[in-house]
Amino acid sequence: MKKMLPESELARDERFVRTKIEDRIFDPRGPKVALRNTGPAKMAVDRPAAAERSRSLMHGIFVGEIQALEGAGRTCYDFDDETAPFQLKLDMARQCWDESRHCEISVKLGDHMGTEIGEYTESTFLFAAACNPDPVFRLCGVNRALEGLAIDVFSSMKDFGNESGDPILEFCEDWMLADEVTHVKMGSDWLRRLTETDPDRRERALEFQRTVDAIFNLGGFRGEDDDNPIQLARDFRRLAGFSEDENDSLAALARESTEQVRQMAAAATAALDASAQGS
Amino acid sequence: MSSITVTPDPFTLVPYDTAEIRALLEEAAALAAIPPAVDIELVVDEELFAPLTGHMSDVVDGRVVLWISGANFEDNKRPCYFSAAQARLDLVVMALRANDRLSDDFADAPPDAELSRGERAAWDAYAVGRARRLGLDMRRPRQLYDFRLQHGFTDVADAAFERCWHAERVTWDGIREICKETGASDRAPSKVAVDLLRKK
Repeated sequence: MKKMLPESELARDERFVRTKIEDRIFDPRGPKVALRNTGPAKMAVDRPAAAERSRSLMHGIFVGEIQALEGAGRTCYDFDDETAPFQLKLDMARQCWDESRHCEISVKLGDHMGTEIGEYTESTFLFAAACNPDPVFRLCGVNRALEGLAIDVFSSMKDFGNESGDPILEFCEDWMLADEVTHVKMGSDWLRRLTETDPDRRERALEFQRTVDAIFNLGGFRGEDDDNPIQLARDFRRLAGFSEDENDSLAALARESTEQVRQMAAAATAALDASAQGS
Repeated sequence: MSSITVTPDPFTLVPYDTAEIRALLEEAAALAAIPPAVDIELVVDEELFAPLTGHMSDVVDGRVVLWISGANFEDNKRPCYFSAAQARLDLVVMALRANDRLSDDFADAPPDAELSRGERAAWDAYAVGRARRLGLDMRRPRQLYDFRLQHGFTDVADAAFERCWHAERVTWDGIREICKETGASDRAPSKVAVDLLRKK
């Protein structure tokens, strides 16, 4: 079996359609919408298109779970026991078990919301973070950055389930959230153990984590304001081993990303308008 | 003979074809039995993309006035591109609701921008159920979830949904009755305008 599988070779059946993140970034409608009031981004039953936004996010979570399963599975297989200790691989195997369960739960939640597998496109940039050839970088990118994001996503979905009086969504998200806290903790523990004598490698791995975090803050997706659909879950992050400094720095990064997007949207709209007036 | 107008013409941000949409709307109006003498105006907001969906059906001075987000016509598997299959479903539902407004049954109904979310969800369930019986591929679980979000995840709400879904005839008073029954009418008024997406 091949080691270090690139994202282009992930196995999918005909229901899945892959999209590139740049398709959305270069969509000419993006800057126009960014300047409009489309209601609070935070999930709530009275925001416009609440049901469709929830379905779309749920499908995004489902494909994310598939990729998390694939990523943890690859980490069990891609490295010898010297590069990645057997105990680490056991943790990754346990994570595979969790992620498989999350996939099944997500499919059922999709049914509950009235959506179908493959109804929306799949972007594989989550798996891309799991392709790093250094297991420590992988743990930082996947277990700390992405599973940390999963804590925020599940916490936001759980709150939405509670607010909308939907016990199925609320409980399912709560159960998955508990697993994610464990996954982050595994990442933090192995980061410490594998870089105990190599602070430089630890710093570079943390830098990789910050890069992945920044990507997932893109467009103000995550933050602490009503402008952010996904809310930073500080309490659960603390349980998972993130320090308050790390949470503060992530929140600052999220605010910066949101502001950058606002500025980019304003600039792009001005350019589009100028071009329309010139034509 | 009525006139059917579609705006914008042409589309500039997405490759949607006005003539194709007009033909689909004509078909939908016929299926919904909108009297042929009634003029129909449709505005598509091409700036909005998935999942920012929404549509509205009103009657103004005897004309059917429709508004829809461009996201409703977007192919979920091919962002930016038009999905005729998806457009057909939404246009029929819009036409059915517009035809309701042309009848005495909904004479007292306020414009779509003034409906509560509960009222709208009940009316949609009634319209989508009829569209399914007209042979369109409408998805019941999807509609049920939309209904539950506004009426609650309860047995009472589910029973009310069943009635809306299977009903051959519901009146505006009937919609309001359903909202009382499920408790949707007791919800505090939303701080977010229901036609927010329509406002630029």
